[in-house]
Amino acid sequence: MHKKIRVVVTGMGTINAIANNIPEFVRALAAGSCGIREIDLFDTAGYRCRNGGQIRDFLPHRFIPAEFPLKRMSRADLLAFAATLEALRDAGLYPLSEAMKEDMGVAIGGGSGGLLEGESFYGDLLQKGSGKAHFSRLSSVYCASSTDRIAAYLGLLGPKITLMTACSSGATVLGYARDLIRNGQAAIMLAGGTEPMCRITYSSFNALKSLDPDVCRPFDRNRGGLSLGEAAAIMVLEPLEAALARGARIYGEILGYGVTCDAHHMTSPDEQASGAIRSMEAALQDSGLGPEDIDYINAHGTATSVNDAMETRAIKEVFGRRSYSVPVSSTKSMTAHTLGASGALEGIVSLLALTHGFMPPTIHYRDPDPSCDLDYITEGARPATLRAVLSNSFAFGGNNTTVIFGKYPNGSDDHG
Amino acid sequence: MGNHRPHSKDSVRVVVTGIGMATPLGVGKETFGARLFAGESAISGIKSFPTDNLPSHLGAEVTDFSPRDFISLKNLRRMDRISQLTTAAARLALDDAGLAVNSGNRDRIGILLGTAFGATDVTVHLTETLIKEGPALVNPIMVPNTVLNAAAGHASIELGFRGVNVTVTHFAVSAETALAYAVAEIRRGAADFILAGGADIISPFYYEALTRFYALSPTDGKTEACRPFDRNRNGMVAGEGCGILCLESLEGARARGRNPYCEITGLGLGSSPTPPTQWPTDPAGIKRTIRRALDNAGIGPEDIHAVSAAANGGRVLDAVEAAAYADIFGDVKANAKDGPAVTSLKGALGESFSGGGIRACALAMSLERGALPPTVGLAEPIGPLAFVRGETKTLPIDYALLAGISFGGTYVYLVFSRYHGEETKP
Repeated sequence: MHKKIRVVVTGMGTINAIANNIPEFVRALAAGSCGIREIDLFDTAGYRCRNGGQIRDFLPHRFIPAEFPLKRMSRADLLAFAATLEALRDAGLYPLSEAMKEDMGVAIGGGSGGLLEGESFYGDLLQKGSGKAHFSRLSSVYCASSTDRIAAYLGLLGPKITLMTACSSGATVLGYARDLIRNGQAAIMLAGGTEPMCRITYSSFNALKSLDPDVCRPFDRNRGGLSLGEAAAIMVLEPLEAALARGARIYGEILGYGVTCDAHHMTSPDEQASGAIRSMEAALQDSGLGPEDIDYINAHGTATSVNDAMETRAIKEVFGRRSYSVPVSSTKSMTAHTLGASGALEGIVSLLALTHGFMPPTIHYRDPDPSCDLDYITEGARPATLRAVLSNSFAFGGNNTTVIFGKYPNGSDDHG
Repeated sequence: MGNHRPHSKDSVRVVVTGIGMATPLGVGKETFGARLFAGESAISGIKSFPTDNLPSHLGAEVTDFSPRDFISLKNLRRMDRISQLTTAAARLALDDAGLAVNSGNRDRIGILLGTAFGATDVTVHLTETLIKEGPALVNPIMVPNTVLNAAAGHASIELGFRGVNVTVTHFAVSAETALAYAVAEIRRGAADFILAGGADIISPFYYEALTRFYALSPTDGKTEACRPFDRNRNGMVAGEGCGILCLESLEGARARGRNPYCEITGLGLGSSPTPPTQWPTDPAGIKRTIRRALDNAGIGPEDIHAVSAAANGGRVLDAVEAAAYADIFGDVKANAKDGPAVTSLKGALGESFSGGGIRACALAMSLERGALPPTVGLAEPIGPLAFVRGETKTLPIDYALLAGISFGGTYVYLVFSRYHGEETKP
């Protein structure tokens, strides 16, 4: 067997409820900032909850140069494109050379896509009748719209991938994008997720009684559900050798990923935690690491009663006696649950933790729960020298994805 | 171009050992195969809703389908139509592969499903309820079905497989991308078996939206029909259904004593900058992607004997695809050579966007039988290609291409190769 190409992350970009870019995100994570408060993107009258992790005052033209027309782009498209430009600049690759475009692709983990715009179209349709509704407004409703627009604006010729594993989409794409590079389908991949807030998604979680009317409290005894959020999170992935050759700053390496399914229930996780256990085990196996190599776990940690107990159980099963000495936190307590983007957003959190040497906290935590008894970093961010970070993302449909990120250089890269 | 590595000899070989489908031409490979290879079309007037006020009236609907034959009552109640079709096709593929899901293998069986538009029926219903009645009347049972990964989730619950589970949603290459991803997952050992394909459905809103995007025949106001690669083509006809392959390693298939339909030996993924929702007009991106797939398989254009095309009767798509093949394979008439036999099954099945799953099942049958079904509706070909017309063409097929081309300029090509048995090829 040939040696596997090592794939590293050399650029990142994000917009979310606590930060408009990566430097702000580092500061907000370290400070334990909360981005969850009353939303004003749409009217919340009639819902069980009024709060969310909304991006405030998002003005696309402040992020996107005037050469790119914004017409017909959805909120999801705009957020994704803004984060992509930041990631490329961060990687020192923007503007792109013609040669680079040839083998560069985009992989986006989808969420609600352009449903915010879709529901406004549908409102018009119901009110005015189909003769007067502008169907062209549907052109950005589907998740692949973000992928297509990024690639078209940047003039890319490589693979375009849009995956949808609900709340684990943003994690799953990181794994597949790594493999597209390993398999020679692309030299560089832009990979990540985008998720806008919208009424349809908000009302769906409302109908499932999954929303905490206050703020989400992951792992707390009185946790009452999740807080919904929005974000875009994009990374630049390339082979280690290429990154070293061009002297790029390396945030870390995508060491492994695992994808499994509960095959249990469409919206409730399997309390036996089999799917979550297997996704962590598959990621460890893919990365060639053991539980003893993981220094920090960025949990799925939605703050629903079932998820947090299930995830704690899964961690204990995989990490055994070591589970009490591996710190775990849910940064959804700060950013809220950004659904399709969350896996990529928390991938960025994991890489920032590796790079900046700290573990971000679980905020809003008050009362211990006997079924959640791990070290959840509730006292605030904690300095730490980390070698490898494991990030979990679980989803509707019983989808589970775990991604493991490693520091570069690591112990065996002596000359690195 | 690029840093391509030919499919190396020591890597895992991926074979197709089962096919399952719920399509407008029939449910299950016996009916589907008989009608497809007889050159029948499933296109007729839309039956499930009125089209009187619309400019188009034709479609290829799955009509002869009884969900109860495939799905337990307990799970059926929670399933929407796309989940039903997917679960049925997945069950048929497992059965055809002789694979029973049990506690010993369920964690090593997965699904990679492509869907372009998902459950447009459920999403529109939920949106309408939300707007008209308010959030309190949104039905929580239907909520998960609005999420595009629902069909794969329902299939896993009904059939019990717990391995890799990913849904791809990239417009008209959703299924082809899912197949490419699945092949890569078998190659890297992430699963022993993957059910891979695509599913999409026709709903009244979806059908109307297609007419509003001026996608459906007759875009010129003349006679409505699906005519892939024809001079008089005037738009696509909407289709629906689900087609799923069961993929596994050749080593695994041999150990189980299964005789594969064929092998999948090459993958190519690529794109070209194209305005969103527009079909590409320059064949360069298609050609680049085909070469990538051929390189990946370690073969050249001259090795290809058959192409299952993406052409759907649209003005732009069919022209650009034919131009790409004329460039890649040479001008058949000018050089007095045969060139690969080219067919588009969308003349019989309509355009369902993730119909690549159904076409992959058909291509697997073609390689096994040595026969390629005709392009129904093709009377006056647009280009100098060896189109299969009128009736099924019998020919030995060593290597075939499955074409995936999407509006927005995204391409996925797969190389299907004849499985020669253990003794003839190393």
